[in-house]
Amino acid sequence: MSICFQKVTQTFGSKIVLKEVSFEVPKGKILFILGKSGVGKSVTLKLIVGMLKASSGQVLVDGQDVMQLQDEGLAQVRRKCGMVFQYPALLDSLTLYENLSFGLRPFCTPNPGTILMSEAEIRKTVLEKLSLVHLGPEILELFPHQISYGMQKRISLARTLAPEPHYLLFDEPTTGLDPITTQAVNDLIFDLSRKLKVTSIVVSHDMACALQIADQILVLDEAQIIAQGTVDEIKQSSVPLVQEFLKETLALFPLEENRSSTHDPSP
Amino acid sequence: MTLLHELGAIWLFSLQVFRTFLTTKGNFQPILAQIASISLRTLPTVIFSGIFVGGILVLQLNLILSKYDAQSLLGGLNTSTIIRQVGPLIISFLLAGKIGAFTAAELGTMRVTEQIDAIECLGTHPIQYLIVPRFLGIMVSSLFLLLIGLTFSIVGAMGIAKQSCGINFLQFMGSIPKFTDFWTLTQAIIQSLIYGTIVAAVSCHQGFTAKGGARGVGQAVTRAAVYTNFYIVLANWITNHFLNFFEQIVKSGYLYESSF
Repeated sequence: MSICFQKVTQTFGSKIVLKEVSFEVPKGKILFILGKSGVGKSVTLKLIVGMLKASSGQVLVDGQDVMQLQDEGLAQVRRKCGMVFQYPALLDSLTLYENLSFGLRPFCTPNPGTILMSEAEIRKTVLEKLSLVHLGPEILELFPHQISYGMQKRISLARTLAPEPHYLLFDEPTTGLDPITTQAVNDLIFDLSRKLKVTSIVVSHDMACALQIADQILVLDEAQIIAQGTVDEIKQSSVPLVQEFLKETLALFPLEENRSSTHDPSP
Repeated sequence: MTLLHELGAIWLFSLQVFRTFLTTKGNFQPILAQIASISLRTLPTVIFSGIFVGGILVLQLNLILSKYDAQSLLGGLNTSTIIRQVGPLIISFLLAGKIGAFTAAELGTMRVTEQIDAIECLGTHPIQYLIVPRFLGIMVSSLFLLLIGLTFSIVGAMGIAKQSCGINFLQFMGSIPKFTDFWTLTQAIIQSLIYGTIVAAVSCHQGFTAKGGARGVGQAVTRAAVYTNFYIVLANWITNHFLNFFEQIVKSGYLYESSF
């Protein structure tokens, strides 16, 4: 059971964003979806969590076709798939503690209105997730605007982790970050994927990041998959766009190494 | 055409809100919190405006009534006009300006910064979590604010009538029953509830469906203000026709007689 796209087509008016796209995410691995801006990378993630309905085809999450699901079914799929947005998307009227505990509150549980966790359990979970993103409890009473953008991104990740999703979906996780924070976020994605053994999908145009942390890379262009494979396979690809991405990246980061093959080959 | 299209979208959105309210649990506490928040935020403006609107109306009516030597009717005429028309309308415009614009801007910002998407992805129903409390909160607050606004408006009118027109409190109040009764207040409550619903529906809908960054939020707030005022004026015209017609039937005793 995993996430599977079967001949998915997505159109917006006359514009075709995805055309009969099919792929399967390997369980427990990091799939990196790479492509230029506007090729439907984020659309792919939105289709998985049912925020968009595909024009045709099937998007299966653990065998369930997301397109056929209604309110409660969709909410269940969304609880399985933790999504980290391009922007931190923290609720700015709530403190960081309230943000982090949001997914554990009764209104996010399968039967809204019922209490599943005590406040003490919620606090314990929040602190655990906070430590996973290398942050301490001293910031919990602050509001999102009182911390840096990089910290907001990490809080956003911790909030997504709190309800313990089976899948992690990252939409442009390093956009707008400085190189040091970018590296820290890449490390986090990789470590969390290995530590928590969750299946991750990362959507980005950052080839350097893909070469570092991906188990599988999928390259999208003109509504279709133009290349797909492991990091080594992608490095050998003769597809012009992939070559272009590689050329630009290797010029900037000549010593880039894939961590999945060097550090921990198994999830 | 755009206004009609919007009206359809707002209607469907409102139905979704009411359906969510009726089919989900745990809504009362957030609604009460919103009622308290909206009422407290709007109360000073409503009191201030109420006093001055009442006072201004008294001065204008006094100018006309004094020509016909009918100043004894000032209290009743003033109170009737405030309760029937000016009160519900002014309070709904205040609510639209203060709470409607705030709600559209707040929800719009949440939409364009993906906060609403994040709420949805955490398994929460955004209509239940964000819209139901605000929608119902604005509706109920409009009634509460109406009663406060009307009270202060009449108090303001009495003060100005005594100060500038030489009508004392007893003279002012003595003529009120000639022009107002329980039905007058019922009309005000019905109107206020309708206008409050319009403010809630338009502002929540515009904010919730905002798109396109800061510019999109600005457009959503502008649209919320324009559409709310337009729909309130339209609703005012329709409800007045309907309520006046209904009042005539009730007071002619038709319903009473036909029931036997």
